[in-house]
Amino acid sequence: MATLAVSTRDGLVAPWVEWEKRCTDGRRLLEAGTYALTEGAIAARCRVFAGYPITPATDIAEYMSKRLPQVGGYYVQSEDELAGMHACAGASLGGLKAMTATSGPGYTLMHDAYGWSITNEIPMVVVDAMRVGPISGITGAPGQGEFYIARYASHGGNFETIVLSPSSVQEAFWLTIDAFNLAERFRTPVTILTDQVISDMWEDLFIPADYDALDFVIPRKHNLMMPFYPVGSADLDVPPNLIGRGTGVCVSAYTHTEEGYDIEDMAAQWAQTYRLINKIRHHTDQLARYETLGLEDAEVVAVAYGANARTVKTGVLEARRRGVKAGFVRPITLWPFLDELYERDCRYVVCELNYDGQLVREVMRAAPDKKKVHFMGKSAELHTVAEVAAGLEGVARSNRVPELPYIWTEVR
Amino acid sequence: MNKLAAKYLRPSQIPTKACHGCGIGMIENWLLQAIDELGFKQENVIFGTGIGCVGRQTFATWGGDNFGATHGRALAVATGLKLAQPDKKYLIVVGDGDAASIGTSHLIHAARRNLGVTVICEDNMGYESTGGQFSPTTPANYVTNSSPYGMAEPGFDPCDVVKAAGATFVAETTATQWHQTVKIVKKALQNDGFSFVHVRFPCNENFGAYALGTRDTLKNLEWIYEHTQGRKPDGSETDFTWETGIKHDVSNSRPEFSKIMRDMNARVRADMAAKAAAAAGDDKTRDDGHGTH
Amino acid sequence: MSAIGGRLRTSFLLPILSVGCKILAMALFKAEKKAPKAGTAGKWDVVIGEDMCKACGFCMSVCPVPVFEYRTVTNKIGWFPMYVKHEENCIGCMLCYQICPDFCIDVAVRDEGRSTARVEQGQALT
Repeated sequence: MATLAVSTRDGLVAPWVEWEKRCTDGRRLLEAGTYALTEGAIAARCRVFAGYPITPATDIAEYMSKRLPQVGGYYVQSEDELAGMHACAGASLGGLKAMTATSGPGYTLMHDAYGWSITNEIPMVVVDAMRVGPISGITGAPGQGEFYIARYASHGGNFETIVLSPSSVQEAFWLTIDAFNLAERFRTPVTILTDQVISDMWEDLFIPADYDALDFVIPRKHNLMMPFYPVGSADLDVPPNLIGRGTGVCVSAYTHTEEGYDIEDMAAQWAQTYRLINKIRHHTDQLARYETLGLEDAEVVAVAYGANARTVKTGVLEARRRGVKAGFVRPITLWPFLDELYERDCRYVVCELNYDGQLVREVMRAAPDKKKVHFMGKSAELHTVAEVAAGLEGVARSNRVPELPYIWTEVR
Repeated sequence: MNKLAAKYLRPSQIPTKACHGCGIGMIENWLLQAIDELGFKQENVIFGTGIGCVGRQTFATWGGDNFGATHGRALAVATGLKLAQPDKKYLIVVGDGDAASIGTSHLIHAARRNLGVTVICEDNMGYESTGGQFSPTTPANYVTNSSPYGMAEPGFDPCDVVKAAGATFVAETTATQWHQTVKIVKKALQNDGFSFVHVRFPCNENFGAYALGTRDTLKNLEWIYEHTQGRKPDGSETDFTWETGIKHDVSNSRPEFSKIMRDMNARVRADMAAKAAAAAGDDKTRDDGHGTH
Repeated sequence: MSAIGGRLRTSFLLPILSVGCKILAMALFKAEKKAPKAGTAGKWDVVIGEDMCKACGFCMSVCPVPVFEYRTVTNKIGWFPMYVKHEENCIGCMLCYQICPDFCIDVAVRDEGRSTARVEQGQALT
């Protein structure tokens, strides 16, 4: 693709826009996304990884097994993903930042651990490198089938989740640091939904030289006093609890009191839920990360995240070249869903790496007219630039996505 | 309440949620005795548990730090927690469901790793919290809520499982062996490695009612007593006998998991320092501007 | 029977014991209470936290002498709790303390100078 002079504005809203400007001393490498995710965690002072190898996240486990002992951390190869995420929760409760990484088949085993960690406000980072499903599916291709599972990561309802998704190797590095920061501030597991392409592909990667000098890394602090769980409050920046200082903290599987032991009471359920939901909902301004292109005059907007956002963005530029007033929205924060990105009353074409349609339903819910939201689902390969441009053109000129092989357009 | 309870427990959680005559509170009393006789401070002992009667009825009674994990995963949590807080004493008090059924995988791997915790598997021979279904430790042919024609599946003894997996201290007692249990728990707590203490105890509400035919607390504790000694008061043999006592004791003979990890880290960092020193030495004689990382 | 620190198994003992004669095994609970032997009783303070008692009956049943009795009024948690009727009979065997599932019972050497205060403190805890 030759350089294209685009008169539209390209905007990225994310904390690493600022971080990149400040970090000038470092190395340029050619590396894979898994390497970037690992180094980002180490830079954020992650000192425990507990997980089970699974394609395409296996390299994260291997890198961690090498890097963590170098920085005084611990690599635990758990007997399964369920044990891995629980061990991360234990390590985090003991005062160490922790991370696990898996793919879809392992991710579905983590629901129990998610529920426990969310309820007890335990910070950690969970990476899900999605591939094609269901189940083992196609191991060597990217997917986006866990969009809803990542939001509804455990049973029982009554909680919100924070889910982020990078779309380049460099972004994976910064976003991992951001994920750890958000985990500390919000006292919750933060999910990084990435995919097989971002994990396995090799790109230009800049790594700062001195991790200790990164002043934007939020350090682990400890809450040593009651209330251990400020139920009924939506406050941000409450430090995580600590097991091991004899504070008497209880960490429980049940609806709990401020002290952490179980209580079966509607008022207690309300107060606990108020905190778990509103600590996130009341602070979405602290969570908004996204990229936009050409929204100021767009008549049709392509929406995508993760790996396929790369080809979709190029498809948008190609559509512009063909005279279509196309725009682009790439949510980086997937949850809480940023409804405000879809306020423009125009047509939307949601490009997702699944056939059942997940992101498209949220866009339909948020957009002014759900009948003007179109779906281009694809599985096992990224959307091609030609497909995206054809889709945008079709919607702009005749209000429908044309018939394209292996592109799913139906949403029920 | 008794002095040890006043010293170590959380007053708001006493009386416990346990049924009358349940063995869980008895065993906790013996754990407190063991802790007290060893001179441990409350802030240095962490209790962990799971789900079920043993998970819930005395959950949060321990006045110090404690956690109640999801069903079967207390040892998975403990694996991470021990790395972060290696100097604490861990009492993982779980039931037969948590340890011998849903959580057996984590039990095996914690034993394999020689994780430095003491697991007290309090076994009432069934899933009593959900009403009295059988578990892998229910004796053969006993009628329970989900074995109305008698327990047909073969069962097993979790002591055998953890011993095979590499536990360094394995013992079994019952709810009528108070002094023995205190002594055994003291020994278990002094093993810097994986200790497993299996304590059989009576459930009156469910196992007693459906398997033994009575909710009478005295009769059910007598049943435990008989099966501990192998004889009934009239001299006849019981249908089976529990083998109690210390079954396997190689305490402090194998490195503990978190120590293995710390030692590995120390080696790795020493190697790195040595390499950095050597490279710095090289750089003094060769300056090509590349620097070191 | 079991042994601490050894590998003794009841199953090894049975063949030896059962040859020829019928052995009467001990029962856990003593239906008959005997009066305490001279010189052993009267030296112990026994306190029950009556509002924690769930009336399982273990303490009274395992006690070899007459000490405990049930109240005729229920406690705060709905049981007819045990109370210490004859503290003077206690011989300090501590079986009740070991067997109580609810942390209710304290048995300690009587402190003549502070005994009244101790008992009152015990009752205040209930």
